[in-house]
Amino acid sequence: MSSFWRGSLVGGIGVVVGLPLLVQVIWSFAFRWYFPDLLPSEWGLHAWRYVFSDSSRVGEALLTSLGIGLAVSLLSIGIGMPAARALALHDFPGKGLVEWLLLVPIVVPGVVATMGIHLVFIHLRVADTSLGVVLVHLIPAVPYMILVMVSVFANYDTALEETARTLGANAVRVFWFVTLPAILPGLLVATLFTFLISWSQYVTTLLIGGGRVITLSMLLFPLIGGSNNATAAAISLVFVAPALLALGFTARSLAKGPSVLGGLGRP
Amino acid sequence: MTAVVLQNLTRRFGNVVAVNDLNLEIAAGELVALLGPSGCGKSTTLRMIAGLLSPTAGDIRFGDRSVLAVPAERRGAVLVFQKHLLFPHMTVGENVGFGLRMRGLRQKEIRVRVQEMLELVRLPGFEQRRAHELSGGQQQRVALARGLIVHPAVLLLDEPLANLDANLRLEMRELIRSLQQALKMTAIFVTHDQEEAVMLADRIALLFDGVLQQFDRPRAFYERPRSARIARFFRNENFLHGRKEGERIVCGGSPLVVGGGREHPDGEYLLTVRPEEVRIADTQVENSLRAQVLAAVYMGTYMQLLLDVEGQQWRVHGPADGCYPAGSVIWIQLPPQRIWLLPASV
Amino acid sequence: MGRPEWWERLKILLMLLPALLVLVGLFSGGLVVGLGQSLGYLPAAGLHSVTLQHYVDLLVEDAFWQSLWVTFSLAFTSTLLSTLVAVPCAFLLRDTFRGSRLVNFLFQVPIPIPHLVVAFGVVTLVAQSGMLARLLASLGWLSEPSQFPALVFDRAGVAIQLVYLWKEIPFIGLVVLAVLQNVGPDYEALAQTLGATRWQRFRHVLLPLILPAILSTSMIVFAFVFASYEIPLLLGVRFPTPLPVWSIQLYRDPDLSLRPGAMAIGVLLTLFSILWLVAYRRLMRYALRASGGR
Repeated sequence: MSSFWRGSLVGGIGVVVGLPLLVQVIWSFAFRWYFPDLLPSEWGLHAWRYVFSDSSRVGEALLTSLGIGLAVSLLSIGIGMPAARALALHDFPGKGLVEWLLLVPIVVPGVVATMGIHLVFIHLRVADTSLGVVLVHLIPAVPYMILVMVSVFANYDTALEETARTLGANAVRVFWFVTLPAILPGLLVATLFTFLISWSQYVTTLLIGGGRVITLSMLLFPLIGGSNNATAAAISLVFVAPALLALGFTARSLAKGPSVLGGLGRP
Repeated sequence: MTAVVLQNLTRRFGNVVAVNDLNLEIAAGELVALLGPSGCGKSTTLRMIAGLLSPTAGDIRFGDRSVLAVPAERRGAVLVFQKHLLFPHMTVGENVGFGLRMRGLRQKEIRVRVQEMLELVRLPGFEQRRAHELSGGQQQRVALARGLIVHPAVLLLDEPLANLDANLRLEMRELIRSLQQALKMTAIFVTHDQEEAVMLADRIALLFDGVLQQFDRPRAFYERPRSARIARFFRNENFLHGRKEGERIVCGGSPLVVGGGREHPDGEYLLTVRPEEVRIADTQVENSLRAQVLAAVYMGTYMQLLLDVEGQQWRVHGPADGCYPAGSVIWIQLPPQRIWLLPASV
Repeated sequence: MGRPEWWERLKILLMLLPALLVLVGLFSGGLVVGLGQSLGYLPAAGLHSVTLQHYVDLLVEDAFWQSLWVTFSLAFTSTLLSTLVAVPCAFLLRDTFRGSRLVNFLFQVPIPIPHLVVAFGVVTLVAQSGMLARLLASLGWLSEPSQFPALVFDRAGVAIQLVYLWKEIPFIGLVVLAVLQNVGPDYEALAQTLGATRWQRFRHVLLPLILPAILSTSMIVFAFVFASYEIPLLLGVRFPTPLPVWSIQLYRDPDLSLRPGAMAIGVLLTLFSILWLVAYRRLMRYALRASGGR
């Protein structure tokens, strides 16, 4: 391919990827921006002022989203890591069934399960609470965590642990000094993306939270396609921030190739 | 059978010259080893012959025809990789028959020839197996069969034995040798293992840093190496500076008779003797040097002796039943016919 | 180690137990309760009898079949388009060229971005008063927003498709790229020295090696789009309503007697997606065999 075509290809991909994000940055600083102007006729910070005010409830929602996301990712580590290790390093009866169960939430729509869970949660009095939302977010988060960690453990040599044991390390020390450093890069990426899965949830939060648990996505959703693009853009940019952070972080660890992202297993 | 000629073959990668002005004439039906340490340009040469890499300069001829313009798929040079690389989505039979299928042969004929080929590599009836069901040696034999079935003009082997254990390597060596002779093929194989090259090849081309050092029969690398570096590569570390006068060479205080160096004019030389050609004596004998034992290691069939000879460290082989305490003084006898003289400047 | 076998077994079970609680307890449990509700078992609303009536009501309604068609064609089109763009992209990105690292990075950008953000970005670009319309207006090609085609809330669902394409092309592309890089150039080189032409190398070597990745990722994309709620609700027409949207709207209705209907739609949605998956697996096996794989 000639360098001209290569150049246009790079440019074209850049525009397609960047434009939907760039236009939101411009909107968030627009005060007056009417058709057919290509740029706002008046710029302003009113959207950002609103976002940082108490009346917007963005601060509150941000904390809720962060708290739920952190809880989901920490729980997913605790639940997913041992399971991934068992699946990657051990053979046991029923392994095929467990692997199959892992894939089911990825391909079977979660609508019915979420609506069914809602009913149970009402009885358990966790519907309309953050705890209920955390629990329901585990359904997409845990299989993801397990799938990534299985591929991490698949490349992990337990002889390292045995060596450490013969050198006198107890189980805790083996985990801390041998296992954890070996799986840490994969674990960090998995945790980050598990956090993002929870952070991006809308419909599960809506159903289980019942409008009482307000995350950022709950605030953003009704604003999309509404009349106040500036406010929507500002909230959308707050909403996208951890994703961009994750991108900067993974871009480094993925410099060798997209293999970790390739194993994401989520559209 | 096709002769292969490499003429002024050169390949650069950026500023790095991987292969530098290589000239080789490989006779039809000959088995030649491209030998050298890793990064010496031997695999690059092989890929250029296969047509997977184009040379920066120079020519490649099969017979008297230049093949530079012929793409790899029509060149008739088959490359067998170090990693056997069986196609994972095909059975053994489909793997072996791949080249024939690409040529559009009929299924029936392919099946017959695959069967013949698998018998030849001693894997009869393996058609329906999958690659992952085979051992490493079996996989390598399938890879070999897959290459041989298309009757290549030249068979190229890139470290074909590197991933096999010692016993299998021996078996594969014999198989490759017998197949190459039975099928009367020109073959070039790349290796970093001098022992393997010596056992398999008719002739060895030794490359250092992309430059051909010596192209000769295996024996010559032991008996008449062109440089100290070549001698060292063939595990000879015994060198001594000396001055040749007539039939004698004077190293330090002791003059030695040189048998093999009559063609050399008088002057400064680097004398060398292979470790296994040295004879050990307790007292001074004819044509011998005084040596102090630094260490001795029992090697099963011989003793490996580390000696101080005129201030140089030598490694020589002594009889397995000898007793050589460190610090003791012995005499090493150098048979005149086994002394080889190298240019002193190296 | 000197530990008895039952201890090892127990350890594995304990390692798996929390995950099984989530997968079986939460997910499958929720499915079962949902199924019960769809059959009219809803004690909270005073419904105790088990009946198939809610399914029958749906299946005789034209609106249901129209919704199913809309949902299916949306998922099918976006999967097909994403795959058709993603695979050539993966092949282009496989080579290294000046700027290929940048393109590689750009290609990864959409992966973590939430769908809602993309939806908003697409709306501001392709709505009738969006950036694209403004650009055309500044070129003098149109003067009123209404002259720009309606791409949001339209029947063809162009904006919806754009959101999915933006998100899913990199998803499929990166998986295929990872497989391509894993395969490496050696298989092709080998096939070439065995006499395979450029087309034969693609057809008999590369394609069978990457096809499983293409098919499984596109299957995941299909299942995801088929069941998703937010994007069609935000950017699609109100009627015919995609099934997930319809189901959740009924469920959120204050009238509790609509809930079994919502559940029935959900269960049918689940059944259909399982049906597609089975059909897809069949197709996959057929395609693999046809391409020389197994």
